Amino acid sequence: MDKVFPRNLTARASMLVVGNPAVSRLESGVGNCYPGLEFDHRNLDRRFFPGLVFNYVSQDDALAARDGLRGAKLVAVDMADPELAARAGDGPAQVTRGASLASALADLRSGVEAGATLYLESVEQDSEGMPHSLGMRAAREGGKPLDGLVVWRMIRGLRPAPVTVTLAARDAAGAPAGNPVTLRGWRRLFTDPDTGVVSAAFKPGELTQSLCSPWQHDFRDCSCTYWASNHPDIVTGEPLDGAVLPGGRPADPVVANTPVDWLRSDRAASGLASATSSRGADRPFQMDHYELNQRWQELAPVLEGHEISGMYESRAAESANPLPSPHALADELVRLASLEHVLILEYLYAYYSIRQPAGLATPLDQDLAFARHELFLVAVSEMRHLRWVNQILWQLEHAGLIARRCGAALGVADFVPDTGGAMRPRSLRRLNRATLAAFIAVEEPSGSIDGAYSAVVATLKGPIGRGVHSDEPPVGLGASYPTQLQQMAEMIVADGMEHYSRFKEVEVVLKRLGESAYLADLAPGNSDDPAVAAALAAYSGILSCLERAYSTGDVEEARFILEARNSMMDLSRTAGELASRGIGVPFFVGLTESGILGISVFSRT
Amino acid sequence: MNATAPHPRAALHLMSGTPSLAFAVEGSRLFEVGPEMFEALQAGGAAAELELLDGLAPVAAMPAELGELEGPSAVSLNLVQSCNLSCGYCYADEGRFGGPARTMPEQVALEAVDRLIASAPGPRVTVGFIGGEPFLARDMLHRCVDYAETRGLSAGIKVGFSVTTNGTLLRGGDLDLLRRHRFAVTVSIDGGRAANDRHRRSGHAGSFDQVMRAVAPLLADPGGARITARATVARDDLEVADRVAALSAAGFAEVGVSPVRTSPDPALPLQDGDWPAFLQAMVRAAVEEANRVEAGLPPRFANLWTAMREIHRGASKPLPCGAVASYLSVGADGGVYTCHRTVGDARERLGSLSEFGASEPRRRFLQNRLVNRSEPCSSCWARYLCGGGCHAEVAKAGRTGCDFIRGWLEHCMHAYVQLLPARPDLFA
Repeated sequence: MDKVFPRNLTARASMLVVGNPAVSRLESGVGNCYPGLEFDHRNLDRRFFPGLVFNYVSQDDALAARDGLRGAKLVAVDMADPELAARAGDGPAQVTRGASLASALADLRSGVEAGATLYLESVEQDSEGMPHSLGMRAAREGGKPLDGLVVWRMIRGLRPAPVTVTLAARDAAGAPAGNPVTLRGWRRLFTDPDTGVVSAAFKPGELTQSLCSPWQHDFRDCSCTYWASNHPDIVTGEPLDGAVLPGGRPADPVVANTPVDWLRSDRAASGLASATSSRGADRPFQMDHYELNQRWQELAPVLEGHEISGMYESRAAESANPLPSPHALADELVRLASLEHVLILEYLYAYYSIRQPAGLATPLDQDLAFARHELFLVAVSEMRHLRWVNQILWQLEHAGLIARRCGAALGVADFVPDTGGAMRPRSLRRLNRATLAAFIAVEEPSGSIDGAYSAVVATLKGPIGRGVHSDEPPVGLGASYPTQLQQMAEMIVADGMEHYSRFKEVEVVLKRLGESAYLADLAPGNSDDPAVAAALAAYSGILSCLERAYSTGDVEEARFILEARNSMMDLSRTAGELASRGIGVPFFVGLTESGILGISVFSRT
Repeated sequence: MNATAPHPRAALHLMSGTPSLAFAVEGSRLFEVGPEMFEALQAGGAAAELELLDGLAPVAAMPAELGELEGPSAVSLNLVQSCNLSCGYCYADEGRFGGPARTMPEQVALEAVDRLIASAPGPRVTVGFIGGEPFLARDMLHRCVDYAETRGLSAGIKVGFSVTTNGTLLRGGDLDLLRRHRFAVTVSIDGGRAANDRHRRSGHAGSFDQVMRAVAPLLADPGGARITARATVARDDLEVADRVAALSAAGFAEVGVSPVRTSPDPALPLQDGDWPAFLQAMVRAAVEEANRVEAGLPPRFANLWTAMREIHRGASKPLPCGAVASYLSVGADGGVYTCHRTVGDARERLGSLSEFGASEPRRRFLQNRLVNRSEPCSSCWARYLCGGGCHAEVAKAGRTGCDFIRGWLEHCMHAYVQLLPARPDLFA
């Protein structure tokens, strides 16, 4: 309609403008007293009485509510309130007795102790057919001031009609002090009845000032535990010196793994202290509401698990070459599964070589606990990878992309990637410095495993290639792999970065200690030892259960997952007992030379 | 075949000019229209009308029936039905409204105030004083103001005040009252000395000097008062711009004019042939005003601004004014009348003071005067801006000067489109 231009207000209001739907108008809004929506109703009621501005102070959720602070607190007397004086442009109907109320307000503080804070003591309005008791509303109950939000709900219930308010100062306990002041006025008409325009008493921004809009005031109190429009709570910081790993995580492992409070008030590098384990304990170090209003721009977006204060640059596109066909992909996944598996065993063995801390009292005990914890987390993460690799395999099968059944991929590789592209024989070793260096090498970004998964990701991102296998099922030209598979592979790559970082941090911690201080005596046990045999039986039980569960990925096989989990508990308990006797679980006993596990060897009873 | 029926022609009113305008009657929506579109609309193209109207959000329909009315928010008190001047055109006939001169008993005035406050529909009410010349009852007027102020205070209702006066009797104490209580003061004065003294006579002399002597201190120091000059235009001198200029020079910030439509002297009301000349005079004054305001000078010609502000907000009125619906007049006899112009007219009497604000008599009065039910209004494009014309005048003289009203509104719409971008501050 570029030939027609609306000129007056009604014409402009009736133009249906693209991008300005009816729901964007205030009258369509879901006005709400709690944050996140168009405006905060409570802000209207702060000025329910012409010339006065109240804050509704809530103490109900305070650890120790202070009665003297609760209620509707008079925070300002606004003599510029347009209700108090007719303006030059007003018609005769605006010429009012505002001057009388204005002079009453000006006298408000005479008779009140200097510096005393006034609170709303009572509100009275003609009850108009309601039970008479509702006409008079006291802002206290049993002599005790009501909480601010309770008083606010009373005020919310007032009609736009004459209203009488009583104000009084309070003593520290909240009891009225000094002479109360009574004022009579008309509960403000918040909007013009004809135009809907909000009363000019409200300053720009006043109605929205307490909204939980991102980066405003109350956004501070949002969190994962409280409100849907949450912000990050605990994050990892960004690299201070700019050195980053290929995935964007800080190269400095301490920075990479120190959980910091996203809302921390001290934004300097020196203030980058680790967040504590509770919200309450972090609270004193967080930005306050007013700080959030003033310094919101210092808060960092969080991407890929860590803060980014500058321009975000996405990771370089995967440069890996995709594998030529679904079958080639399956073969690679089977190989990668065997690598994940062997790492699980090496990490678990090394885990039991770290001394068990007696408690957490000494720095040594804390370091031991930390190193064990980190190593165990990485081992568990590798277990998850083993599962994901198998899931990619079974989903390829389900999608009809590979004709050959791979079954569960639970082999154990003979060789493990080492530095510089070399391979080393698999080995169950204590976590001495050399072992830790080997672990860091295998998890290194851009290392061999990382590169292999990059090829998997590149394959799953691209169109399905036609390989050389004659038994591949036909797929349409340009058909692609299920998106979910790519995401799983990407998670494995991302976790690899984290494993590297965690090991680096363990290295930092253990470097302070002599090997003798943290390493326990541990040698692989003999399967003739009944306890060792029991551990191996538990391990065997885990594998046979996973074999059943992973071979098809059928939902009804989930019971084997539960059974495997129980066996893991058994293994964990037995291995712990063995470790206390200096014996490690000889996981590689009974593996076939090819590195593929001979299940039957372990199927003994 | 397109099954959609074309909009009735009366849905749009087209105004050629630069720029060309289209006025959608429903919702009083004003559009500027490009030349091609305007030609298509003029050619009667249903498609062009559909293109304009179908792209718009629907407008709420005018009510066909009036429901129960809420209490009035304004009353005017005819304190005295007599006047110290004897203006030839006065509808009030020297304040006597055709009857004997009389003064309102004070208890009637106070009771009217009480009843107004008791039935107030909102937090503000207005008490107006008219006459006759209300300052002939100076003491009662002062007491009424104090009384209304006190009663309003205890009821939590703000009371505003207005007065229409010839200004000749104002004294120092009156001026203080007007300032302190932020009165809206309308001074009846017709223009410069010559124009004013033609009809506004004080005995055998003109009244101009007398008015200006009394009003000048208030104009110089209005305090909280807002003062408007109101000039009455009789058919023997239709000039408008000169009156506005003269009264502005005399110190009035706002000047409005009213043509005589009914008068005890049949030589003075405008007759059918006078309206085109009066329209020309109004337009000349409006053009001068627009030029002044565009040059940054403050507005002063109230008729133009009242109309433009109504146009700006898209006023859509089922009735011409607030009379009866939100405004009543109380006569010196204690009767409640439809407005200050009908005081004493038995046909316009709504009841006694005890029935002040009763809904049913008022609803009955207004129901048949809804502009959509009146003829020839129901098919007039300007009906929702005009509202059908003053009840009192229509009753006495019928609907006269309708072409003048339409012509004036057309001019005001063009002036509005011209001034809105130049002085948006004046429409805020």
